[in-house]
Amino acid sequence: MIQALSDSLVAAALGLPLTIAIWLAGVAAGLVLGFVVGALRFFAPAALVWPLMVAVEVVRGTPFLVQCFLLYFGGPFIGIDLSPILAGLVALSIYGAAYFSEVFRAGFLAVPPGQLEAARMLGLTRAQAVLRIMLPMMALAVLPALVNLAVILIKETAVLSIITVPELTFRVQGVGSATFAFAETTLVLAIVYWALVEATAWASRAAERRIERRMAA
Amino acid sequence: MTPILQVRALERRVGETEILRRITLDVMPGEAIGVIGPSGSGKSSLLRCIAGLDPISGGEVLVEGRATRPGDGAIGMVFQQFNLWPHLTARENIALALKLVRRLPKAEADAKADAALAKVGLGSLGARKPAALSGGQQQRVAIARTLAMEPRVLLFDEPTAALDPELTTEVLDVIRALAAGGTTMLVVSHEMGFVASLSSRVVFLDHGVVVQAAPPRAVFGAQAEPRIRSFLKTYLDRVAWAGEG
Repeated sequence: MIQALSDSLVAAALGLPLTIAIWLAGVAAGLVLGFVVGALRFFAPAALVWPLMVAVEVVRGTPFLVQCFLLYFGGPFIGIDLSPILAGLVALSIYGAAYFSEVFRAGFLAVPPGQLEAARMLGLTRAQAVLRIMLPMMALAVLPALVNLAVILIKETAVLSIITVPELTFRVQGVGSATFAFAETTLVLAIVYWALVEATAWASRAAERRIERRMAA
Repeated sequence: MTPILQVRALERRVGETEILRRITLDVMPGEAIGVIGPSGSGKSSLLRCIAGLDPISGGEVLVEGRATRPGDGAIGMVFQQFNLWPHLTARENIALALKLVRRLPKAEADAKADAALAKVGLGSLGARKPAALSGGQQQRVAIARTLAMEPRVLLFDEPTAALDPELTTEVLDVIRALAAGGTTMLVVSHEMGFVASLSSRVVFLDHGVVVQAAPPRAVFGAQAEPRIRSFLKTYLDRVAWAGEG
């Protein structure tokens, strides 16, 4: 049992860097894509808005596991042949983007129209009003929700093990399969994920407070 | 003398509802027009249509003989809810349009912003954000922000309706000083005493129609027409003992 635990810890240490790397890259890409989709859904003409709405709803309405399968095993049929790591990264980015886009869209909606009318009367262009008034005003409002979603995405990376991305779960489960010590390996997994989520949540709350202080002062 | 602001047969309809019906109004340079009337009479709509914020269904609005659109500098608007930008200081609120629209260098825009703040009696509060200002101070910053762009005509849409009574005076004093200084303005307000003392003419609106547009003494006087009398009576009725006399 001690052997299984120590093997699991070694496997976790080996898998952790990839989990963190995919998570960070997925959050970054998801934020960018989510912002673009959220902004388009708010600003673009209706013809563009509703296909985006359908896309977002499909991603939000299906399990991440199924999306990973579809991309990794179904992709080659339509010429998308990605390595496990790249497929995992793409899937995580799209999944995150769907949720991030809703937060950004809500942020745009939350800016009171009066503040924009004031900008319009003073002669600011639409683009200037968005950049100088809307985005700074919504930044504070959406920050906690974005951070919360980003932290949740850490746990979703575990799903990538089923398309053989050699991340944390994949490596530790490998120990389980080889030794049949499923309880010990799963326990190690749970503890490592929990520690990771707590650490990032704590760090992001500190960052959040710093940004809030800077913007509200 | 030619009017600085001409409103000609202005109409606004939303679906079947007529909000404003053929409003015609000439405003001379330096005039202060008070706009009064019951809720839903179209006071704010009139201002928003003149500003170009609400679309009009007919007629035209001319400033110095030219059609205007929001942001072209002809018309400035002060809103009931101030609409200051919460992430910017008072000075930055004023300087932003000077930099982006007037293309002034930062130092010059800041100096102009400080001068505008001094004009509304807030010279020392430029570094504060709106949340650190009282409602009356916020509205004065909003007035300074509009003034700094030097519009030809200033519109005030219920500028003190969102303020506690004790904060109303400081805002009304600023508007009074501007009027005395020759700023052309239209003021929608429920502060009847203020409207009576400020205005060169008072426009009484009811159901989107100008019932009367005349000097305050004529509108508030005993000869005023029945709709205006019953409207003004609602103000007197709030004073419990007013009917006893």
